[in-house]
Amino acid sequence: MTSSSSPDASLVGDEPHPPDSKGFLGSISRVYDRLSTWRTGLGLPQPGNVENLQKEVKTTHLSNYMFDGARADLTKSLSMNPLFQVTHSFALGSQTLPASYNFAAIFANPKLFLQGGVDHDGNVNARLNHGWTPTNVTKAQGQFSSQAGHNMIQLEHDYQGRDYSLNLKAVNPWPADLTGIYIGGYLQSVTKNLALGFETLYQRPSPEMSETSTSYVAKYTGNDKNWIATAHLQPAGMLQASYWQKLSEKVDVAADLQVILAPTRRDALATLGAKYDLRLSTFRAQVDSTGKVSALLEQRFTPAFAFLVSGEIDHFKNAAKVGVGVMIESSSLTPEEMGMPPQP
Amino acid sequence: MPSEDTKEFITKAVEVGRTVLHYGWIPLIIYVGYTRSNPQPSLIKLISPLA
Repeated sequence: MTSSSSPDASLVGDEPHPPDSKGFLGSISRVYDRLSTWRTGLGLPQPGNVENLQKEVKTTHLSNYMFDGARADLTKSLSMNPLFQVTHSFALGSQTLPASYNFAAIFANPKLFLQGGVDHDGNVNARLNHGWTPTNVTKAQGQFSSQAGHNMIQLEHDYQGRDYSLNLKAVNPWPADLTGIYIGGYLQSVTKNLALGFETLYQRPSPEMSETSTSYVAKYTGNDKNWIATAHLQPAGMLQASYWQKLSEKVDVAADLQVILAPTRRDALATLGAKYDLRLSTFRAQVDSTGKVSALLEQRFTPAFAFLVSGEIDHFKNAAKVGVGVMIESSSLTPEEMGMPPQP
Repeated sequence: MPSEDTKEFITKAVEVGRTVLHYGWIPLIIYVGYTRSNPQPSLIKLISPLA
């Protein structure tokens, strides 16, 4: 704001006005200052970003956690600060996926997050997050495979202002002719409860073709932040609405409704789910309008050993899936090195 | 629009970069983690699932 002041203004020490109050640029900067103090005075909250609009619903529903067959995850923490851990994951007996082995490594310090995974076929997935400041984060994600056509790279920048957030993404950008998919999202708090935003998708599969589509989002947060309602209107007549509520310290419930109202297709899917966070276990249950009932129990016997059971019954198709899993964490560190208070 | 030579160079550069990341990403994380860890772990603990 002081950058607009003329260099000789600072020499006049006994001037009644601040040096930047003179001239056209000075008045602009004063208007800007007044607007920003007015905006700060509104006390609008940070709304989160468009991508995480339904984060609470997704963590309550078990669709993202569902698995079938048997699996085992062996995690080893080799260092706590900075975090460095390696995970060996085994999975077999699934109805839909072949047996697999996956090795993953994570390194994280407050500014940098590196993650990499490789499976038994040699497919590598990579993730890098770098925080320039706590509100300015650049992310990169990639998938590398020896098969052609399975490679993917995504570059992303996330900026969180005081009452808005901005997100820019490029998926498979090709520098020679600028083809690829580009996504820009913006979410702004309008009142203390309501945030409105949009997400624009620019697709350019070949230099001659390009296509733009915009979807609109709204998010309403309750006064105590214990309930959230969202709506996401996508082009081609798709609407996704969700509701999440924290009933008590231990119980979250979430409902999600997806409606497709295209001229060629009319469809709807409703999902209702609940999550119980107990002292040593997490239980998720879910029922949806396609007749699927599913549940997942994650039971921690000791801090280092967890047992998972999942089940799903599809009543309309008369099919069922069952899964069991173990998660074992081991560490080469002493409790003091892990940051726990020393035992007496 | 860039010339044909530039396009060819970009294609080659991307292909080399992709191969380097494909084979070098996991070793890079392990190297970074191994050297920055506090305390430094032993290599056998790092690789074997059972040790």
